[in-house]
Order: sequence, then structure tokens, then C-alpha cells
Amino acid sequence: MIKLTGITKSFGRQQVLQGIDLQVEKGEVVVILGPSGSGKTTLLRCINYLERPNEGRIEIGDFEVDCGRASKKDIYALRGKTAMVFQHYNLFKHKTVLENVMEGLVIVQKMPKETARRRSVEVLEKVGLGEKLDAYPSMLSGGQQQRVGIARALALNPEVILFDEPTSALDPELVGEVLAVIRRIAKEGITMIVVTHEMGFARDVANHVVFMDGGVIVEEGAPRDIFNKPREERTKQFFKRIMPEPAYSI
Amino acid sequence: MKLDPSFIWEALVKLLPVIPTSLLITAVSVLCGFVIGTVAAFIRIYKVPVLHPIASAYVTFIRGTPMLTHLLIIYFGLPLMIDALSSQLGLGFRSASIPMIDFAFIAFSLTAGGYMSEVVRSGLLTVNRGQIEAAYAVGMTTPQAIRRIVFPQAMAASIPNLSNAVIGMLHASTLAFTVSVVELFAKAQIVASTNWKFFEAYLAAAIIFWGLTVLIERVAVFLEKRVNSYNRGGVA
Repeated sequence: MIKLTGITKSFGRQQVLQGIDLQVEKGEVVVILGPSGSGKTTLLRCINYLERPNEGRIEIGDFEVDCGRASKKDIYALRGKTAMVFQHYNLFKHKTVLENVMEGLVIVQKMPKETARRRSVEVLEKVGLGEKLDAYPSMLSGGQQQRVGIARALALNPEVILFDEPTSALDPELVGEVLAVIRRIAKEGITMIVVTHEMGFARDVANHVVFMDGGVIVEEGAPRDIFNKPREERTKQFFKRIMPEPAYSI
Repeated sequence: MKLDPSFIWEALVKLLPVIPTSLLITAVSVLCGFVIGTVAAFIRIYKVPVLHPIASAYVTFIRGTPMLTHLLIIYFGLPLMIDALSSQLGLGFRSASIPMIDFAFIAFSLTAGGYMSEVVRSGLLTVNRGQIEAAYAVGMTTPQAIRRIVFPQAMAASIPNLSNAVIGMLHASTLAFTVSVVELFAKAQIVASTNWKFFEAYLAAAIIFWGLTVLIERVAVFLEKRVNSYNRGGVA
């Protein structure tokens, strides 16, 4: 279980997160929606300390950290329990697909190389890249690169995988293959927090939808409720804007 | 006075035995300079308190003064310091016993360090921020992320600049002759001093320098191809 309490974050004078509370149950898929600048990516990056929150508490499983006074050790521990999939993939450019996935296992988790290799191959096969083990990221399409990114996160066996707009940088025709992989691993009961603009994905896969705006959580709940009968005016506006009613009727 | 082509050849042969001296000066100054430069670059990028302004001052001083100045400062200044220290501590060590070439090693390493720090720094700045974030996200510590992810990519990007620096230091190693180290240039002068055919001797030295430079260029091209193989493909 993951529990965030009172997370705040400001960049200079601008307060991007104004006290976020969020609870995620084990095995849940949480989708965070919201207009750009609403703080959703910042929130995600606070969970693994790529951004340092100003205040608040982060609990993951039985690990707990007070953000005001997190030590280096706390930060590394937190990162050890999470994994992240980036918008721009961020694969290690100078390493092959297999090395990208093995890197964390060998260097961070100190897994013996042979075991790490077996685990990496297994995960890469799961995302459909068993044939590409020795390719470099620059030789792959965006969709393939992002699947390696997912494999790299998955291999670490984290308590939660954080997805930061995983399909936003992809060509439209490649979005499907990446979403399919995410759907598949969601079914395996891996806890995921996903920032995305893919409404269809949110509707089908999420157990829990969070709508953020202006650094606060405006509304959250089951996807059925949020999409079909949003309570807050701000949420209604948002859906109206991104999913306009057809201007014509058939 | 006429050019004597046969003496060019003769001088060339006589210069060959001192090639190792020139290469040694270059290698030592480049290697030590690389270490100094890397340390200085990291201090400046991470803005390490106290050390940061010192590193910046070092770089601007080195780049702002001729290399000959560095050599002369070390050559004249270091013995004064060593002798003063030695007599104060009663060590009985005299700076006169230090081989001349050591002054060149020290001075040129400092010179190379100043220039190399900019080479390393520019290499580090080419590495996308996302690379280190991904390293952090898989749980690496900062030293692990730098050693395994950032530094190798920075070095790959720096090869052209590094080869430039190596070639520069090879040519600059001739300055060692001012502190009586017999490297290629000094040897050319010695070879010519018996018959005054300085032009031929210097031409011979030039040919050797060019040859060595071509060699360094070849190595750089080879390394660049090998190291940057991961950038091929270019699908997106």
C-alpha cells in the first residue's frame, strides 16, 4: 500500500503541489488526469524523489519517510521500492536493450549476472522484445524503446511502477503496442500510478482515477463515476474540452 | 646557402631515439591533466562549496597565461618552495636533485588540466538530464550513476576534443627544451649545431611531429567509430 500525506512542492515562488493526500492499494492501477500544469507529473516525480517535496509523508509498504528531513539513505530506499517509465523513455543510450534491463539488477540489487540475465530476458520476452536483446536504443522505434523502458522498470520487481505520460512522445500508430503492454502487466496485479492523457486507457484499465488541477486533487474515485458523473464543475469542464460532444448527430 | 635534403634524412634518423621522450612528456601531461581536469570539471558542475571558486580560478589562470609561463613558474618557484620547506623541516633534501623532466611533467600536467577540464565539462553537459534521472529511478546512487551512465557517454562525446588536446600537448611538449629537457626540438638543435643546418633539422622534427599527429588522429577516429557504435541506427 502507498500513502501520500500532505505533499507540497514549490518551484521558487510557484507552489505546484498544495498538500496532496493519496492512498493507493496494493495491485491497484491509479490514473492521474488533469490539464497541463496541474502538477500531476511533479506529484509522480515526488514519489521517487526525482523532485524533492517540501513537506509531507510518503509511505510505501512498511517504509515511511518524512519529506522535510529525508536522508540520502531514505531517498535511495524509496527509489529501491519504485520504478519509473519516462515520457521520453530515457534508455541508457550506450547500453544494449539487455544491458539496459540488467543494469539496475546487477548494480543496484547486486543480483548475480547470470540470474539478472535470465530475469531480464524473461521480462523482455514479456514485452515482446526477446529478439532485440543486443540492439542499441537508437536502432529501435519509439514504441519498442518504451517497451524496453517498461521492461527495465518491471525487472526491478518494485512495489509500484510510476508511468509519466508513457505514450505522449509516441507516433499515434505506436501508442497501441505500448498501451497493450501496460494493460497486460496491469492484469498481473502490479501496482501502478499512471499519468496519461489516454482517456480510453484510463476508462478500461484504471481502478481509481484522480483528477488534479492547480496543485490539488479536485476529485477522485472509480473511473465509472469520474467519467460518467463527475461532481466538480472543474472536472466536467475538463472532460468536455478533451472529449467534445460530436457537433453532428448521425 | 642551399637546402641539403640528405641531411634531413640524417637528422631524422638521429631524432628517432628521442621520440619516446616527447611521447612520455605528452602521455604524462595528458593523463595527469585528464585526472586534474575531470576533478575540476565535477567541482564546477556540482558547484562544490569552497573548491568551486578555486577550480574556476585555476582554469582561467591556466587558460589565461602562456604555457611557457606555467613551466617557468614551476621551474623557478617549486625549487624555492621545496628548499625552504626542506631546510625548515631539516630533511636535507635539495631541489637540485630533481630531474629536469619532472618540472616539465608537473607544469604541463597543470596546463593540460586547465584545458581538459573544459573538454570534460562540455562532454558532461552533452549528456541528457533524463539519463541520470533514469539511473536514479532504477535506484543508483549519484556516484554509480555518474560512473556507469553519465561519464561513459560524456567521454564518447568528447573524443574529438580529447584528441585535439592530446595533439596540442604533443606539440607543446617542445617547450620542455627551455628547461634543458632533450626532446625532439632540442635534439634537432643539437643535431644541427655541428654543421649549422638548422633548417633541415627542424624540417626533420616537423616530419616526425606530423607523423605522430597522424597516428593520434587515426587512433581517435578508430575510438570514435567504436565507442559511438551505439549512436548508429538513428531510427528516432
